[in-house]
Amino acid sequence: MLLEVRDLHVEFRTRDGIARAVNGVTYGVDAGETLAVLGESGSGKSVTAQAVMGILDTPPGRITGGEILFQGRDLLKLKEEERRKVRGAEMAMIFQDALSSLNPVVCVGDQLGEMFVVHRGMGKKDARARAVELMDQVRIPGAKERVKDYPHQFSGGMRQRIMIAMAIALEPALIIADEPTTALDVTVQAQVMDLLAELQREYHMGLILITHDLGVVADVADRIAVMYAGRIVESAPVHDLYKAPAHPYTRGLLDSIPRLDQKGQELYAIKGLPPNLMHIPSGCAFHPRCPMARDVCRTDVPPPYEVSEDRASACHFWRECLDG
Amino acid sequence: MPDQPYEPGGAIAGTGAGGAMDLAASEGASLEQHPSAASGGRAPGGPKGTGPFGPDASAAAGGRARSLGSDAWRDLRRNPVFLVSALIILFLVFISLWPSAITWESPLQCDLAKAQEGSRPGHPFGYDGQGCDVYTRTVYGARTSVTVGVCATLGVAILGSVLGGLAGFFGGTGDAVLSRVTDIFFAIPVVLGGLVLLSVVTSTTVWPVIGFMVLLGWPQISRIARGSVITVQQNDYVQAARALGASNSRLLLRHIAPNAVAPVIVVATIALGTYIALEATLSYLGVGLKPPTVSWGIDISAASPYIRNAPHALLWPSGALAITVLAFIMLGDAVRDALDPKLR
Amino acid sequence: MAEPVLEVSGLVKHYPLTRGILFRKQVGAVKAVDGVDFTLGRGETLGLVGESGCGKSTVARMLVSLERPTAGTIRYRGEDITRLSGKALKAVRRNIQMVFQDPYTSLNPRMTVGDIIGEPYEIHPEVAPKGDRRRKVQDLLDVVGLDPEYVNRYPHQFSGGQRQRIGIARALALRPEVIVADEPVSALDVSVQAQVINLLDRLQSEFELSCLFIAHDLSLVRHISDRVGVMYLGRIVEIGRDTEIYDHPTHPYTQALLSAVPVPDPEAREHRERIILAGDVPSPTNIPSGCRFRTRCWKAQERCALEVPALAVPEEFRRTTGPAAHDSACHFAEDVSIRRSAPEVVLPPEETREDHVNGSA
Repeated sequence: MLLEVRDLHVEFRTRDGIARAVNGVTYGVDAGETLAVLGESGSGKSVTAQAVMGILDTPPGRITGGEILFQGRDLLKLKEEERRKVRGAEMAMIFQDALSSLNPVVCVGDQLGEMFVVHRGMGKKDARARAVELMDQVRIPGAKERVKDYPHQFSGGMRQRIMIAMAIALEPALIIADEPTTALDVTVQAQVMDLLAELQREYHMGLILITHDLGVVADVADRIAVMYAGRIVESAPVHDLYKAPAHPYTRGLLDSIPRLDQKGQELYAIKGLPPNLMHIPSGCAFHPRCPMARDVCRTDVPPPYEVSEDRASACHFWRECLDG
Repeated sequence: MPDQPYEPGGAIAGTGAGGAMDLAASEGASLEQHPSAASGGRAPGGPKGTGPFGPDASAAAGGRARSLGSDAWRDLRRNPVFLVSALIILFLVFISLWPSAITWESPLQCDLAKAQEGSRPGHPFGYDGQGCDVYTRTVYGARTSVTVGVCATLGVAILGSVLGGLAGFFGGTGDAVLSRVTDIFFAIPVVLGGLVLLSVVTSTTVWPVIGFMVLLGWPQISRIARGSVITVQQNDYVQAARALGASNSRLLLRHIAPNAVAPVIVVATIALGTYIALEATLSYLGVGLKPPTVSWGIDISAASPYIRNAPHALLWPSGALAITVLAFIMLGDAVRDALDPKLR
Repeated sequence: MAEPVLEVSGLVKHYPLTRGILFRKQVGAVKAVDGVDFTLGRGETLGLVGESGCGKSTVARMLVSLERPTAGTIRYRGEDITRLSGKALKAVRRNIQMVFQDPYTSLNPRMTVGDIIGEPYEIHPEVAPKGDRRRKVQDLLDVVGLDPEYVNRYPHQFSGGQRQRIGIARALALRPEVIVADEPVSALDVSVQAQVINLLDRLQSEFELSCLFIAHDLSLVRHISDRVGVMYLGRIVEIGRDTEIYDHPTHPYTQALLSAVPVPDPEAREHRERIILAGDVPSPTNIPSGCRFRTRCWKAQERCALEVPALAVPEEFRRTTGPAAHDSACHFAEDVSIRRSAPEVVLPPEETREDHVNGSA
């Protein structure tokens, strides 16, 4: 395993109490594999990624338990300085909002080149040359001429390409992409996702794709981890999960999205609201919204039941769910 | 605001207007209930999950009904900076309303024989160069300072927010003219302007000074009010009200003003402190208030020649001034922290 | 088509670009909307799709008279509403209401829910006598699926989905004939989106509303709309019934757009070929001559740069009556019967989709 997150717990101390954002998340990514972490806002999918990257805001955030093994080392036990060396060089992150992640007063060539100057000790000229190469690689037309442009002179899709270039600059082993295409239009979204998938194949990187879009996941992912209220409720290879979900939440999500290729009648709607992280329901956190809930769901937290060799579901009644 | 809970049944009975009216009211109600009854009939049996929510009803019910204002107040009550500054300000307001509550003499009663004498029983702050009791004068000085500060701030806030708010709301030529005018006013150095303008005034009341402060102070608030109105105006709820056909006055009073007022309050509170300091500065320079008005600025000015022999006569009024200004600025800071939703 | 409620023709909105502080000089214009025509029938839902910046939101704002068009007419029941003001405008506004995108900024945080939903009655007091209003507000809350006891709460006590319900209740208060919904669910979580969409769907039939539904999500638009218009750079490039647009698109932009939508079905990804458009949408200040899509179109020829294609049934389909015979602004329109893929692509076997159809039933 390239990256293994084991029983991670993260909480946020706020004025109104403690928000338990991540409550025992376990997942792993292999080199060359794409893991999609699917969840709604507040499910803890981004917080987990921030903890892995080591960019969690502390305070108010706090990692209260678990380990993050990256190439065999527990990142949580590293000193901040060693951690910084891992960040950027061995794992990189792509954010949703490219405009605010790029420095508006430094031209993109210098921002890309800086990676080489800082981490590889290159001279300015070599770094600039590498920057142009990178921009070519992410297919920015006219890279040579545009290397001196500033971020605001690029369109949203191009900026996201620059972010990708920055992420792959030092050829990291793992890339975490947090909603990389959510802010983009459909046609541009397709371009960017294609590029990301291609680069991943080329460099044999591990990719964690954090998203709420079931369509994007189906297009690129190998495995899926579905998160709800800070826990992984189902993890499965992508084909199995779409064919037959083993958790009522996953089933609800799949049924509730309108389809492009058919005009449905009424959409299935999961009743109720995502839980408040300050007061996560007892037992299975999904039970107040679950059509299959029974007494045991209110009292017992479901462990990840093994559905098949590489598949798990945190539902007491996964068998019934699987059978539909 | 029609905020009072209005109980349909109770109100109808309360009017005692008679059966006809009750009947009409209940009929109107039953007519109105029709669509909801229809939907109510559909929701439970038919489509999944379109009925009223169970769980989120309880989630929302968990929170008490509270406005943003009371939220800010909850914040403030727990803030020690606010508590200290509010206590100081309450005390200042108290002594400026009833200075005789803690003094025994008239501030104008002086005895040259006691000039520059130090502290003694009954006269804890000693005497100044004219033989007046420093304690009494310091207490009475609070009145002018607070009067000038409060009146100038009120004038500035009202004039500034009305002009700035209207300019921001309507935009166009008026806005462009106002912006240039504020630029011109910003270019006037305050102390120099005061020296020039106030030196021709002979009145001994506080009003010319207040008038001068309003004249030079409104552009600051006007700018803030304008920016704030422009920001709030872009919110969809203003657009929604406009799409409903709301008049400009409704938009301004009901939707924009309550949401745009916070930065004005904050800046005005901080400005209040600086106006008190400005009054003292102008009085010190001899163009602000003039004796026999009692003011910290005048006392500081009068005591400065004797700083070597009688430093106490200078220190007490300056100390009072410094604490007062600080209290208002601290209050403004605390209010800003409480009102700024980004800091939550 | 049913009797038209709204007829939009030649709608144009240009925002002038000026330079200079004192002496403003116009140096150009952002052509946000550049000639849009459509009609909205009674009880019909028209979906308007397009990428960001295509002008769909500006169209919405002009329909509810929040913006004044630069040119063109919007006829509501035969009367042009673009030049109205004062009382006449207020009367029209009663009948055309809007649901906003962002439920967090569309409700005044300083007003209670009761005041927010009751405000339409204060502005139009003739609709409901004073004594009736509270009851009407509670009824509306019930209609949109909220507890009527919530009238004294403030918006910040509600979640995004609940706030959007409040916004819908406000739009319904005056019993309008037309609802313009601008991306009403794009700010909501996936599991809550379906609730709000179902609500809109139900209300539309219950109140016999005509609805203009604006969104960037093509699947969503298909789900809720009777007819669909595709916008590109300030114009409608193709418009027709939902099956005509989704199953027989004739405009290359529509085809590209449809093929780019990710389908939540991993089985499809091996079979599906996508049209990946090159480049970005041109700036609305500098719209290409002729066909505005030609800079990104793989079919573009010389004629496309010279002649503006009209939005009409393309010549080759004019004599047919099939689903391809719908308005499309392309010189080289061709019927590509796609489900989820590009031209000349083997459709994935039907069974792969069957599971989900059953699952959702």
